[in-house]
Amino acid sequence: MAYVALIPLLPALAFAVLAPLSRRARNRMRWLGVGAVGASLALSLVAFSSVWPGGQDADALYHASWPIAQVGGADLSLGLLLDPVSAVMLLVVTIVAVCVQLYSLAYMRDDDRVGWYFGVLTLFTAAMLALVLADNFFMLYMAWEVMGLCSYLLIGFWHEQEAPRRASQKAFLTTRVGDVGFAIALAIIYATVGSFEFTAVLGAAGSWAPGVATAIALLLLFAAMGKSAQVPLHVWLPDAMAGPTPASALIHAATMVAAGVYLVGRALPIFEASGVALSVTMLVGTITALLGGLMAMVQHDIKKVLAYSTISQLGYMFLAIGVGGAVAGTFHLVTHAFFKSLLFLGAGVIIHASHTQDMREMGGLGRHMRWTAVTFGIGALALAGVFPLSGFWSKDEILDAAWNGGHYAVFFLALAAAFVTAFYVARLWFRVFAGPAQTDDLEEGPATMLLPMTVLTVITATIGFAAPAFSSFLGHEGHWPDPLIAISSSAVAFAGLGVGWWVYGRRDAAVDTNMLKERAGLVYTVIERKFYFDDIYEHLIIRPYIWAAEALARFDSEHVDGGVNGVATAWCRVAEAAWWFDVNVVDRMVNEVAHAARVAGSNMRRIQTGGVQVYQRYVLGALVLFMLWIVVKGA
Amino acid sequence: MTETVNGVAFIILAFACIGGAVGMLTTRHVVHAAFWLLEVMVAVGGLYLLLSAEFLAVVQILVYAGAVSVLLLFVIMLTLRSREDAVRPVEISIGGGVLAAVFGVVMYVAIAQYGDHVAQMPAVVPDTAALGELLFSRWALPFEVASLVLLTALVGAVWWSREDDRP
Amino acid sequence: MMQVGPSAFLALAAVLFTLGLYGAVARKSAVMVLMSLELMAVAVNLNLVALSRFITPSEMTGQFFAIFTMVVSAAEIGLGLALVLAIYRQTRTIELSSIDELKG
Repeated sequence: MAYVALIPLLPALAFAVLAPLSRRARNRMRWLGVGAVGASLALSLVAFSSVWPGGQDADALYHASWPIAQVGGADLSLGLLLDPVSAVMLLVVTIVAVCVQLYSLAYMRDDDRVGWYFGVLTLFTAAMLALVLADNFFMLYMAWEVMGLCSYLLIGFWHEQEAPRRASQKAFLTTRVGDVGFAIALAIIYATVGSFEFTAVLGAAGSWAPGVATAIALLLLFAAMGKSAQVPLHVWLPDAMAGPTPASALIHAATMVAAGVYLVGRALPIFEASGVALSVTMLVGTITALLGGLMAMVQHDIKKVLAYSTISQLGYMFLAIGVGGAVAGTFHLVTHAFFKSLLFLGAGVIIHASHTQDMREMGGLGRHMRWTAVTFGIGALALAGVFPLSGFWSKDEILDAAWNGGHYAVFFLALAAAFVTAFYVARLWFRVFAGPAQTDDLEEGPATMLLPMTVLTVITATIGFAAPAFSSFLGHEGHWPDPLIAISSSAVAFAGLGVGWWVYGRRDAAVDTNMLKERAGLVYTVIERKFYFDDIYEHLIIRPYIWAAEALARFDSEHVDGGVNGVATAWCRVAEAAWWFDVNVVDRMVNEVAHAARVAGSNMRRIQTGGVQVYQRYVLGALVLFMLWIVVKGA
Repeated sequence: MTETVNGVAFIILAFACIGGAVGMLTTRHVVHAAFWLLEVMVAVGGLYLLLSAEFLAVVQILVYAGAVSVLLLFVIMLTLRSREDAVRPVEISIGGGVLAAVFGVVMYVAIAQYGDHVAQMPAVVPDTAALGELLFSRWALPFEVASLVLLTALVGAVWWSREDDRP
Repeated sequence: MMQVGPSAFLALAAVLFTLGLYGAVARKSAVMVLMSLELMAVAVNLNLVALSRFITPSEMTGQFFAIFTMVVSAAEIGLGLALVLAIYRQTRTIELSSIDELKG
């Protein structure tokens, strides 16, 4: 089973080969990244088949760890843990990564830094695979940070432009706020358990004081909220759309943002031991699911609609974990990874063809790009939760878990979010593909871009039926959704789609962006301003910070510098006085003394000349003083 | 018997060391100073032999006597504009003398405090083979890092001493 | 019978180091200063090897330390001499007293 180690190692090695090359050589070697990830996919399939059929007994099918360092009494080790959850995640990550890489070959063909793009994408894949295979929190944290770095690099890939540069910094800083929570959580875990291993930590979670469990769980949740763009740390994800679209598909839709969900799922025993943290998770997820959906309704940028939709769907996953449906949440993670990356790849084709991201400038694309319209439509319907596509099954499981857990308010809020989702999905599809064509010189994307999309479409359409099998694979009882819930959620989905069609899709509907704005002025404004999160951060954090920095700089230049200059001036006066004293008093005294004084004086002057050897003398003098101190102290 | 021999050898080598160092510091000719340093290095190599550190002794001779001294001589040669430049007055530094004296006293006190905890040389000494084995097992990682340090220094030295003017 | 204990080696190393210290401060030629630094490094190595021999004869910890010290001091002398060459090329002198560019 040692080949498991190769799964993250191959992409990492590919990056290590690509990174030091020259730009031109790297551009020619981009196939290396694709090949490495492809090999990882093959190995993941083998690993998955060895875990099959899963179930409770299959926990920790493969476990190996290599100590890398000893800090204090702790062994820090890199360890691999292959169990059903990580096997599923391996498969999801590698499949999406391969699709995105193949797609990128065409999408990024004309970029002159394409090699670097593939290198970072490959490194990202390696980090994500290492994250899902990690057997301890420490390694998970390392992979987590590498992913953050890759995300930063890819968002800012076109760093010649202002927007991607700002977006990459915003993403890095915002997620970093959460990562601080992770680091503190690691410290508490180590102080409590003395180990980072999942088995040791999670096994002991039940016996902790509730306060400790709550603290750790909330800090981990905070980290996950940063990575998974949950309210109120979601602000970076929409801006992150400034990066290349395929990278958005892989990182900001399918894998990295799901890492937060994965982390909470892994640390579930801690959350369960706390109880409070589970409720907080539920609350955060519900709020995010709803707010994300509402914000997606009013965006005009096609990628931002998808970004807010991602936020909303991730909220769904947190909600699921919060109400006790961790399996449902994980299943939604899987289905979402496929259909959302499909949507992003579709959006990439659309942007490629129409050279804009603004939906107001699109319309009627369906006539020219039939295949894209069909695949994008299937992904959109899956997102809306229409039978029998995958989104329907995973969303139903979540609703099922909420209802059976007795969280009725959450259930209805989740239904409301589903309605909103269906509405903006309809808006998205009709605005882009239906209606009068705005331009005629449109071309369907090349086959190399459509092929990965087709693969993802097939998976999206069929994977839903695996829902019960998925549950039993993870060691839970599998069942089909409750018909009542299925009917109500379908009804809500069709209602949302219907309203969306009525507003945006009717043949005689004037495509009028201002209609909604006029009907619901205040609400629309609030939503369009993204619930003022960015403004609040701007005024509450960024502006005061800049103001404080400027004030400090002013204080520095006016007072501190003045003080330093004053001391320097005083020192000059003293030196002048000493010099005067030297010349006028000492020199006139005994000649020998004068000579000695001159030697001393010239030595003193050397302090101010910056001579190398003077400094060397200081260093050695300090050394001697240090030795003296040791000896005196030892006596 | 062996201890007596060691004692005599130690005294000879110690005098060679100190004499070489004093010679290096008092000579007026830079080239002579380099040769005095060479002599000190060889004598220290002998001391390593006394301490049963054969490998280190060999390395000492190779690195210092072989490489460093040649390097020093080359640089002296490259930085002398004329023969006369090599001869320079013996600089006497009062500050340096005071510093060294204080240091010497401190060292004396420290060694006096330390005393002879272990008067006898332990008899059991692993040989060079054992040293090699340890070097490539327990000390393998530091060893590799050391090679990187050397590589970096090499590149840096080449960079610094390039002939052409950098922009 | 002559007993050569660790103190003898420590004392010798201390003398060498002190001489090196004096040389590093007193001599004005950059090459001479580098030689003095080497003298100090070799004194430290002598200490390490001697203590290794007397205290941890079988683990040879000090010997390994000495090996790495040698690596570092070899790197140091190489870089130092390269620096001397670079300085010489710029200022046509290697007198340390004439190098006073370090003032702010």
